[in-house]
Amino acid sequence: MHCFKTIEDIKSSYTRRIRQIADERIAGKKVVGTFCLFVPDEIIFAAGADRVILCGGKNDTIAIAEQYLPRNICPLVKSSFGSIVNDGSSEIRSCSHFSMVDMVVAENTCDSKKKMYELLEEYVPTYVIDLPQRPDSPEALQYFLQELEKFKSAMEKLTGNKVTSERLQQEIRSSNEIRQLFHKLYELRKKDPVPITGLDVLKILQKQYFLSPHAVKEYLNTLITEAEQIIPDGKHKPRIMITGCPMSGGNTKVPDIIESRGGIIVAEESCTGTRSFLDLVEENKDPMLALARRYIRIPCSCMSPNDRRTDIILDLANDFNVDGVVYYTLQFCHGYNIEKNKVQQALKKAGIPMLFIETDYSESDIEQIGLRVDAFMEMLS
Amino acid sequence: MISVGIDAGSATTKAVLVDSKVMVVSKNIIACAICPTGFDFIAAAQKAYEDVIEKAGIEKKDVDNVYSTGYGRNSIEFADKAISEITAHARGVYYLYPDVKGIIDIGGQDSKVISVNNGKVSDFLMNDKCAAGTGKFLEYTARALEVPIDELGSLALAATKPANITSMCTVFAESEVISLRTRGLAKEDIAAGLIESIARRVAVMSRQIGLKENIAFVGGVAKNDGIRKALEKELKLSLFVPQKPQMTGALGAALHDIR
Ligand code: SF4
Ligand code: SF4
Repeated sequence: MHCFKTIEDIKSSYTRRIRQIADERIAGKKVVGTFCLFVPDEIIFAAGADRVILCGGKNDTIAIAEQYLPRNICPLVKSSFGSIVNDGSSEIRSCSHFSMVDMVVAENTCDSKKKMYELLEEYVPTYVIDLPQRPDSPEALQYFLQELEKFKSAMEKLTGNKVTSERLQQEIRSSNEIRQLFHKLYELRKKDPVPITGLDVLKILQKQYFLSPHAVKEYLNTLITEAEQIIPDGKHKPRIMITGCPMSGGNTKVPDIIESRGGIIVAEESCTGTRSFLDLVEENKDPMLALARRYIRIPCSCMSPNDRRTDIILDLANDFNVDGVVYYTLQFCHGYNIEKNKVQQALKKAGIPMLFIETDYSESDIEQIGLRVDAFMEMLS
Repeated sequence: MISVGIDAGSATTKAVLVDSKVMVVSKNIIACAICPTGFDFIAAAQKAYEDVIEKAGIEKKDVDNVYSTGYGRNSIEFADKAISEITAHARGVYYLYPDVKGIIDIGGQDSKVISVNNGKVSDFLMNDKCAAGTGKFLEYTARALEVPIDELGSLALAATKPANITSMCTVFAESEVISLRTRGLAKEDIAAGLIESIARRVAVMSRQIGLKENIAFVGGVAKNDGIRKALEKELKLSLFVPQKPQMTGALGAALHDIR
């Protein structure tokens, strides 16, 4: 496959971004850390703050977390927590950005995160946005709107800046631009053969929550230009869609296995995938209400019911001409693991084969997953 | 065309040689060989390959294709292609049993259930995260019971009141066996309890992918009558067990290019 200059640039963007954040903080800018798509970036940026994602994708900091947290919770929660509370007393190093935030913006989603945030408060100021769990009811929207208003005030207090309607509108437009660029990039993945691998796209999907919006836009623009010029080689590979848990930075295990064993990932229905950009925020409306409306619709398994997710999966499978779906979950993520059942039934009905992979961040099961992926690829071709 | 399939399993390596020119179906299988894998996949594969060629009375140059499958399939460099054991089993069993709709394979390291449609895999499930429901479970618990694993099945058939083994975890089941023994339960009853426990586990997997009829039982454990009976009871149907249930992977690999 083609080697994209943009992807190489993204891979080496970490230190540049760290320097940027360090400079910003010296200049008095506040930086917040987030964990979840339900936290609107627009409000953070409109308050004149910066943000980085704190979701951990690395295996080694899990050992630190296990001094505090039970072993049987999801690796993402453990990895993140371990990276933040790491006091440097062991050999294990956390990435620098984990210690560069003035406040954590948390959210009440799954039980593991919710309770982990309670422990986190001891180490770093933590603000929690509460989420209604039945998003379809009108009361839920009202409640979520109130929560976002409170969050806006908290950001104003942290930064000392007023979050005006104008600033929010600007940030909504800016975030929408990114979403539209992702749409454009995904449009290219509908081609057969595909001009870009899933692993390459995953890089920018992961980094969008870490880099500044300005950088993300630039990278997306150049990546799209590059990908448009490519004439991909002719061989058809089984077209795979991934759906399920997020793949945080550092975690590319399953896509690695899929693409090194003959498959090509053409779409991912996840928080490192379509959920970040599928819906735009309505522009030129009451910005807070528009944000509430858009964000409450995120099809996350923490919400009930979450049938919209199944509908989206079926639509994407169709639009991207998918040969098979890999349902990916992290161990002990009950929400996505349980929701598998509904998705599996819907896919079965639609005649789309599905492979279920539940895993963690360790390397111990790579061969076993590889065998299933091999069999799945043989089944699809 | 002469093809050899090599199944590089974790305990044993199997090879099957087929000749597609033989027109009588079920007579294509010319020779089989089996040898312990030990610590060296490649050496074991080499040995099984040489054995099968010798048995067939031909020479290496007469072989058109070599296909590998099994745990060590990717390390066998002299193979032309590696095939997953799931696809290979489906192909192999289909050859022996054309009506097959489902396959249960209890191996040493993992257990698999495969849904088959015209010889092709349409769905599958594997248990490989832990030893529960695999041959390892039987190996360890048989040891705690101090009976050879091959005798577990016949022992179980003599049970009057099968013990209830509650632990799925192999390590805990092992200590459960020990405590049942100290409580004076008959070995036969404990053996039956162990076998029922593994059968239950595998039956759940089969139901998950909707296996209903025409199910074949393969893998080394399939030779064990007691387990077959327990599975049949659990699934409420009778299972097809090939004559050499441990060879279907190698056979399927050998038949890879033959339709
Ligand atoms: S999966 Fe749900 S809880 Fe996790 S980041 Fe996405 S929206 Fe948030
Ligand atoms: S992957 Fe699942 S368990 Fe882990 S943080 Fe996300 S929703 Fe929670």
